[in-house]
This record gives sequence, C-alpha cells and structure tokens, in this order.
Amino acid sequence: MNWKQIRLVMGREYITRVKSKGFIAATLLVPLGIVAVYGIGIFIALWESDVSYEIAIHDRTEVMVDSLVALDPELYTDFSDTPVDSLRTFVQSGAINGFIVIEEENITENRPLEMIYDGSGGLTFLSSVRDDMRDLFREERLRRAEVSEEIQQIFTTRIGLDSRILTEEGEEKQDDTAFFSIIGLAMGGIIIFSIVGYGGYLTRGVIEEKTNRIIEVIASSVKPIELLIGKMLGVGSLAITQIGIWLVTLLVLMASAAPIAALVIGMMEDRTVTTEMAQQELPSFMMIPEIEASLVIYFVLFFVTGYFLYSSLFAAIGAAADSETDTQQLALPITAPIMISYFILLQAFQNPDGMLTVVSSMVPFFAPIIMITRLAIGEVPFWQIALTLSLMVLTFYGTMLLSAKIYKVGILSYGSSAKFKDIWRWLRQ
Amino acid sequence: MSTIHPISIRDVSKSFGKTHAVQNVSFDVPEGRIFGLLGPNGAGKTTTIRMINYIIQRDSGSIRIRGEEVGPESQRLIGYMPEERGLYKKMKIGEQLIYLARLKGMGKEEAKERIRYWLDRFDASDWHQKTVGELSKGMSQKIQFISTILHDPDIFIFDEPFSGLDPINSELLKEIILEFRSRGKTILFSTHRMEQVEQMCDDICLFNRGRVVLTGNLREIKKRFGENTVLLEYDGDGSFVDALEGVRINNRSTNFAEIRLLEEQDPQELLRTAMAHARIHKFELVEPSLTEIFISTVGEDQVRKEELV
Repeated sequence: MNWKQIRLVMGREYITRVKSKGFIAATLLVPLGIVAVYGIGIFIALWESDVSYEIAIHDRTEVMVDSLVALDPELYTDFSDTPVDSLRTFVQSGAINGFIVIEEENITENRPLEMIYDGSGGLTFLSSVRDDMRDLFREERLRRAEVSEEIQQIFTTRIGLDSRILTEEGEEKQDDTAFFSIIGLAMGGIIIFSIVGYGGYLTRGVIEEKTNRIIEVIASSVKPIELLIGKMLGVGSLAITQIGIWLVTLLVLMASAAPIAALVIGMMEDRTVTTEMAQQELPSFMMIPEIEASLVIYFVLFFVTGYFLYSSLFAAIGAAADSETDTQQLALPITAPIMISYFILLQAFQNPDGMLTVVSSMVPFFAPIIMITRLAIGEVPFWQIALTLSLMVLTFYGTMLLSAKIYKVGILSYGSSAKFKDIWRWLRQ
Repeated sequence: MSTIHPISIRDVSKSFGKTHAVQNVSFDVPEGRIFGLLGPNGAGKTTTIRMINYIIQRDSGSIRIRGEEVGPESQRLIGYMPEERGLYKKMKIGEQLIYLARLKGMGKEEAKERIRYWLDRFDASDWHQKTVGELSKGMSQKIQFISTILHDPDIFIFDEPFSGLDPINSELLKEIILEFRSRGKTILFSTHRMEQVEQMCDDICLFNRGRVVLTGNLREIKKRFGENTVLLEYDGDGSFVDALEGVRINNRSTNFAEIRLLEEQDPQELLRTAMAHARIHKFELVEPSLTEIFISTVGEDQVRKEELV
C-alpha cells in the first residue's frame, strides 16, 4: 500500500468535488434554509407578542366581571353599562374584537355562554377564553355553594408531574427524554442521509471513471485498493467538510438568535430587552441544546465507522455497474439494511429500551443509525458500545475485502453491468 | 540470456474463468526498437499488455521490466496508452495532467514544466484552463498522448494506438514514435491492422488465439519467407486470377491482386497466363505481406479473414 498514491487520489477526489458548482450550491443552500427558518421563527415570535385582543364583558349579574378583568385586564373590559346593540356596532367597526353577555342563568343553570366576535384570534384564542370562563364560573358556583376555602383550593389545583432521572452512580439529574429523543432521531437521520448521500457520490464517481474510460490509465499507475481507499477518504473528508459547515452555521445561528431577537424587540418597542427576556419569546428548538461532549464524540465515531462500513460497498456497486441506471438493482443489498434501520429508528425513538432496538443496535449494518439514537436517548452499558464498535470494525474489514475484489475486476469490465452471478464469480476468483 | 531486455516475458498464462486468454506466451522486446504485437481481435494482445502494465496479474510465468518482476515500481517506468482512451471530462486539462504525472511519481513543478513543453509543441498552449468536455475529439486525443508521455519513461506501450485517430493525429503519433526511437526509447504497440504498421516495426510478435505463433526481427522473418509474392496490376477481365492454381490471393480489387505463390510455382508461368487474359501494367515480385506471413504461419483454416481487417 502506497500512501503517497492514496493521498494523491484522495486530494483529487476532494478538491474537484469541493470546487464543483453542485457542492457549493448545496453547501450554501442548506445554511440559507436554516437562516430562513430562524428569520421566520424570530419574526413569528415577535409578531405574536404584538397582537392583543379586547373582549367586552356585559355582565348583568355584576358578580363575574370584576374577577374577569382582574384575571386579564388587557383582554377583558367591563362594558356592563353599554347596551348590547352598541357593542355589536363596536365589533363591526373593529373597536373591540368581541363581547360576551353574562346572565344569572349562566351561573345557576349551566346555560352555555355566547361570545359574539369578529372571528380573529383562532383556536388558541378561543380555548384560552373558554378556559378563563370555566375557571371563574366554577369558582363562583363553589362560592355560592358555600364550600369551604380548602375545598375550593382542591378544585383549583392541578397536579403536575416532574420527572428526574436517577443514574447508576446515584445522582439525580434533569429528565430531558423528550428533548433527547428528538436529538437521537436527528442524529440517526443525519447518519442515514450521509451514508446514502455520500455513498451515492462514490458510486457515481466510480461509474464516471469507467464510462470516461480513464480508469485504465489510472490503473496503470495506482493499485485498485489504493484507488478505492483514496476515493473513500476523499468523499469522507467532503462529508465532514459539508456537515461541519452546516453544523457551525446552525450553532452560530442558535447562539445569535436570542440577542438578535432582543435587539429587534428593543427597537420596535423602544425599551431595553435582555437576551433572557427574548429567549422566552423564541421557540425552544432555536436554542443551543446542552449536549454532553461524550454524545458528540460517539456521534463522530459512529458517523465515521458507519460511513466506512458502507462506503466501500457503494464503490463496489459503481465498479459492477456500467451505467447509473443499472445501480438501483445492484444497490438493493445495501439499501435494504439502511431502509430497515430507518424503520427500527422510528421504533427506537419511541421505545429505546425495547428488545428489537437493543439487539439491532449491535448489528453492524444497523448500529451506526440505531446505536447513536439509543445513546442520545438513554443510558447504554459501555460493554455494548465497545462490542458494537469492535463488530463494526471487523465487518468493515470484511466489506473492504469484498469490495476490493469486486472493485478490482469491475473497473476493467466494460460493456454491460454485472449480474449478481458475475459478482459471485469475481469473488471466488 | 545475458542481456537484460526492457520487457521480457516467459511462459505467461492467464485465464478468465474457462477462457484461456493467454497461454504460455514468451517474447523479448529489445532496447531502443519499435516492437509490434500483431494479431486478430481477441488474440490476447490487450490481456498481455495489461499484464505488462500490472493492471491485471498473470496466473503463471514471469514478466520482467528491466530485469525486475512487474509491480508498482515497474509501472512508473512505462508510459501506457490503453485502447479504451479517456480523461476526466470536467477536470481542467492542466490539473488533470499534473494529477496523472504525479501518480507516475513526478514532482509537481517538474510536471508543470513538461506540460508546458508538450502543450506548446502540440499547439495547445492555451488549453490549460479548459476542460476535456470543451475540446473536440482530435484535441482530446492530443491530451491523451501528452498524459501518456509526460513522465518521460524509457518504455512506451500503446494498445491499438491508431484506432479512432483522425489522420492528423495518426501522423503526429507516428512522428512521435519514430522520434522516441531515435532518442533510444523502447516502444511496444499492438494492432490488428498489420499492413498499417509494417513500415514502422523493427520486431514483431504474432498472436493467435492466446498463443505466440511467430516472433522475431521483421526483416529476417520477411527474408525467410522469400520473394514469392506477386503484385499484379492489369486492365481487362480479371477472372483468370480466380482460376489460378497453387496460389493464395490475399488482396484483390478490380485491377489489382496480391498473389502468394505456393509450392515452388514459377512466377514466369503466372506472368504468361496473366498476359494471355489481360493487359498488364505492373508485375512485381516482392516479400510477402504481414497478413500473408500470418496466414501461412497459422494455416489458412485457422484464420477468419474478417478479423484481420
């Protein structure tokens, strides 16, 4: 093995691709997409805080209106002295958004309340008004029934459920299961996407060299195995570059979202807004998650081993095929395990400790996708991680041997795509 | 066996599955000469050439380049232009040539210098920044030559170099091959069109069905076959040619025939017959053509004539 040759091949693979228009476009478009999501996210967050509604309360019982106004002075206003007809015209002219007439029967006979309004606000608005009404009417009825203060308290309390995780070391920590399930799903998804995407790059690159007929010139200077490794490393570096650029963009945006939002809100409302205040306004996915360093290291580890495990096979497909249209069928033995891992991933996301998930997370072809999801969501015994990684390295050695054989014969057979029968023959040669 | 030849092949065999592509092939390519590997399509020429270039490995036998068994080291001593030619379509010519030269072990700066020299020589100085996709077929053929010779090896191997070349590039390649010989380089090329290269080769090796049927110095081989071929040009009814006995007619058109005399036939007898039937413009006794030598070596029934064209 001549590493100087491998370095030359790798350099060419990397540099010609990095400079290609397609790569530059894809690398820039994704961050632009992220920026757009952030821009829209900030915009929506700010827009929402600007809107306020006004509901007139025409209270004929005179007992409800004060508590309603006290509950939300911006939303509810006492209009008990204004005739209902005038309230109608107010709604029509847009002076108020709507009104509610409260009568004794609403309290005593359980008659439904009616809100007459202009239709703005949507479902969230409606349900918040409904919740307010339910709470206050329940209180009023309890008060009239002369129920003791204690029992009133019982009715108003809602029991919460906080969860904390007890680790094996006996420490309690914040339970972020929901959040980390998303992270796990995303990490598994990124690895699937990368294996298929960059693997496809490799397949097409090998076919290109075959159809260009340059392969024989190259083969008169470089050993097939050197060429194969050089290509895998070149495209691998490309993957790291591209995903690196995307992640850095994402982190920069996450770090700057709240300060920017604070600045914008401050300018619009002419007051000082701290970053912490702005943070409350933004959706949570825009914040930097607190991810343990070990998870990041595992991600890189499984990303790299997963890529190498599959990439040599993708190159072998390119060598066996004669044109890109013929790759689909040949790729089936490789795309099948990826598809299966996708379905297991959806299962693992909901039930990370299930039998299927645990077992498949240690099967080398599924491991890069499933194990990282398990690692993100919950605790995985170290022996399982070590065993999985060792199995993956061993399998990589196997797929590499297999691919090298197919590649060596395949690159020099022109004319028609190989059948599985032919590949079997090449392997036995 | 005291001299070390640039290329020396002994008892080499190679099979693909049940197909015996090359069987017990042996020959030597002498220093500073042009060596022709001749034979019909499918005779095993390309397989032999690929084995010399260490692109595929022989099953048995020995292939030595300057006395050393072939391997990654020997690849650098050879400039190889395969029959299936190709370049990277989207890569700039300059970068592409540097890459190919560096794979052959050349330094970057040295490669740049050589590329400038050859591009200038082929009137292609301003192609550096172009991609192969932007070039015409003839232009990319020139780039292909340059990529083959850039690292200035002592041994050149061209597989069917003239197939698909336009006439200008054909002449250019011939010129370069002759120039390389005059500079003491060794050239091996293969072709299935024997007549086309007769003038160029010093030595030949004839392949048929994976075996060497004849190898040696072209002049000596021709001399050995003697002056027993008649070139005949005539006017009038040529049907007498077909009626001749004890001859083999290799090349025939309306007014021309190349006739090999078999079994000690008297050329004067043939001339008399011809004069009786047609008006003779030319009657010449020559050494047999390579095609004729090939046919008489392997036997007429072993040859499919269409393979020789």
